[in-house]
Amino acid sequence: MQRPDWAPDTIDIERPSVARMYDYYLGGSHNFAADRAAAQAMVAAVPEAPLMAQANRAFLRRAVHHLADAGIRQFLDIGSGIPTVGNVHEIAQQLDPQSRVVYVDVDPVAVAHSREILAGNEQAVVVQEDLRNPEAILAHPDVRKLLDLSQPVAVMVVAVLHFVSDDDRPAELLRTLRDALAPGSFLVLSQASDDGRSEDERAEAERVYRRTDNPLSVRSRAELTALFDGFELLDPGVVWVPQWRPDTPESAEDAERAVFMGGVGRLGG
Amino acid sequence: MAESPGATPYPGTFARAWAKAVSGTSYLPMTQAQLESLLDRLTGQLAGALLTEPFDLRAGHRVGAELVAAHIASAEGLGRTVEVIQLRLVRDLGLVAEDVEDRMARLLAAVATGYARALRDRTLDEQESIRRAAMRARTQAERALRASEARFRHQATHDPLTGLPNRTLFTERLAAALNEPGRGAQRVGVCFLDLDRFKVVNDTLGHQIGDLLLAIVAERLRKAMGEHLVARLGGDEFVILVERTGGTDDMVAVAETALAAVRTPALVDGHELQISASIGIVERQVAGANPTDLMRAADSTLHWAKSAGGARWALYDAERNQRELARYALSAAIPAALERGEFYLDYQPLTSLRDGSLVGVEALVRWRHPELGVLRPDSFIGLAEETGLIVQLGGWVLAEACREAEAWSAGGAAAPFVSVNLAVRQVHRPGLVQEVRALLRQTGLPPERLQLEITESTMMSTAEEPVRALRVLADLGVRIAIDDFGTGYSNLAYLRDLPVTELKVAGEFVAGLRSPSVGRTDERILASLVSLAHALDLTVTAEGVETAGQAERLRAIGCDAAQGWHFGRPAPADRILARIR
Repeated sequence: MQRPDWAPDTIDIERPSVARMYDYYLGGSHNFAADRAAAQAMVAAVPEAPLMAQANRAFLRRAVHHLADAGIRQFLDIGSGIPTVGNVHEIAQQLDPQSRVVYVDVDPVAVAHSREILAGNEQAVVVQEDLRNPEAILAHPDVRKLLDLSQPVAVMVVAVLHFVSDDDRPAELLRTLRDALAPGSFLVLSQASDDGRSEDERAEAERVYRRTDNPLSVRSRAELTALFDGFELLDPGVVWVPQWRPDTPESAEDAERAVFMGGVGRLGG
Repeated sequence: MAESPGATPYPGTFARAWAKAVSGTSYLPMTQAQLESLLDRLTGQLAGALLTEPFDLRAGHRVGAELVAAHIASAEGLGRTVEVIQLRLVRDLGLVAEDVEDRMARLLAAVATGYARALRDRTLDEQESIRRAAMRARTQAERALRASEARFRHQATHDPLTGLPNRTLFTERLAAALNEPGRGAQRVGVCFLDLDRFKVVNDTLGHQIGDLLLAIVAERLRKAMGEHLVARLGGDEFVILVERTGGTDDMVAVAETALAAVRTPALVDGHELQISASIGIVERQVAGANPTDLMRAADSTLHWAKSAGGARWALYDAERNQRELARYALSAAIPAALERGEFYLDYQPLTSLRDGSLVGVEALVRWRHPELGVLRPDSFIGLAEETGLIVQLGGWVLAEACREAEAWSAGGAAAPFVSVNLAVRQVHRPGLVQEVRALLRQTGLPPERLQLEITESTMMSTAEEPVRALRVLADLGVRIAIDDFGTGYSNLAYLRDLPVTELKVAGEFVAGLRSPSVGRTDERILASLVSLAHALDLTVTAEGVETAGQAERLRAIGCDAAQGWHFGRPAPADRILARIR
């Protein structure tokens, strides 16, 4: 290994960040020129990209609502990105101010920004870690301090798993997280899917994301369903995200344009 | 979520149409019902503004700002809002007012203005906050980088076992001390410290105990040395840098302190270890000193302390160092000198005290050095023994002596034997028997005309092989003599096991025969040795006989033969042989 593991990250805002690109899709201004250029290239390749982000964000909102209604008061949001609008803690703490939320992201700028947003909020914290290192996330003192893993927790792995390649064994990462959870916990999962997409579109999207630190690994519905191993999938299972318990029937129309698939699973026992 | 209570059906229709128009223009963190409820409230404000006198632009501004605050914050969101208000507000709400078109235009302008202002502020705020986050992340990364560099630097300059500075840091500090401007007239000192017999600890108790011991010693030295830099160079080697000294006394005091710190027994994992150290001290003026020379000097001085028995310090001595360097150069030149034939043999007679006849000669090696002239063995044999070159050199002497001695029998008369010194290493080396056998065969020298002189120290080792080899040689008929008998080990037990032919009594007993007072004792010792030797069937040759008086007294006590200036100095073979022809 060239760089020892304790060597720090470098901050290069000339390099597009997937977190800030996502913010741009959502209409935010928490982004730099390089992020916008990459996001625009993505929109040129896949015109639905902003819609994807919005649909996924709406899925996150509905899922958190649902889990809060089901009594969940602890959230672990891995790959939380730039906190823009409708963050987990905003939704959850609106329903119960005692809800506790830990955000995890690998992007140091996203983490610094989250820290500013969360300043003064005793019930929410951000830690800089990588989804590919679940042991470190679970062992992190801030995680340990805020979350009681003997009680149910909702683990959110939303719009991030497509940045984890098969070489990094996503199923094992999720299993490590699952094994640390108490019965009654939930897994909220969504990611970009290539079901029904042309080879061209996929190749072009992958090309855009190769410019970032996080190349894209899209997955099929079957692959996503398999990742819920050990969880009981809530209805309606793994679906295009607009189809997951929509607010109105109309909002689930043309659902496959959202590109993202997702679902929510409950840990039994 | 339910629509806000009290909403009338008409505004509800418009609000729903508005909500549908802005859906999807940006991410809205709310349900469709929440959105409709919000827009319903804003619809009321817009309707109010259209109807109220006087017309108030601020109502339009507020609505625009509220839309942005609710995240309906995109260009499309504004466009669709303007469109839906213009097309449907008056109609859906059934509004009736004078100059309603005029008012509508001004209201839309106010909404757009309020909206654009709020969006601009929001954009600037977000840009500022993300930039601040990037800056903070960068500051943090730089701090982490500095910390990791400091950590890396610490790792690179410290020894992980003891936590002491390592060679790299020591070298830096020494160089800095020597190069500091304006320090030329000041003095600097180095103590090079090495534990005595540390290898024994490692070999007998294991490396783990050895490592623990090193850590203890390191900690003691660090404490005892205070401000002076203590570094571990590797193994059990430590070094102390004294950046300012007032002279050698200061350095000796530092060395004494270090020795005392090490000397206290150390309790390591239940073993009480009594340890000691040796120290080489170098102290000199900063001007003209360089780190490499200083360390080399400290290293050789450390070896003086070691070879003097350890548990002590030694102070660098330039002259001694010069001599050692010269000796080293000389020893390094031996192999080439052998090839060039720069060595030759002189022979010193061993004369019978009974009849004055020449019984044998001792071969003595000489080096005709191209620059230094003829060198006697005492200037290079010791060195050859240390370096192991003695095996090569001794082998040459043995071969040359056998070759020359064989020719002497041609004279007809009883030819003398040739006595050749064997170094410890030669005796202990496997293959000695084969080497001698081969030489005797090649030269044709009868075995009884070869005498091998060994020292008592040769027999100090408990190894059996040398004894066996000497016994085989003795069985062949080769004579075995003990050289310098009476000055060394003098354990008589080996005389029982060894096939010794002759004792050569050290010259110092003979020297004593000159002065009457000491002479009496020496004479008694000599007499006892002779009678002991004769009782064991050995002959005795006295070495270092310089006067006729000594010769006479030796003859009187029954000594068999003698060697010394009185009987002839070492000389080339032909000159010695002239005496028997």
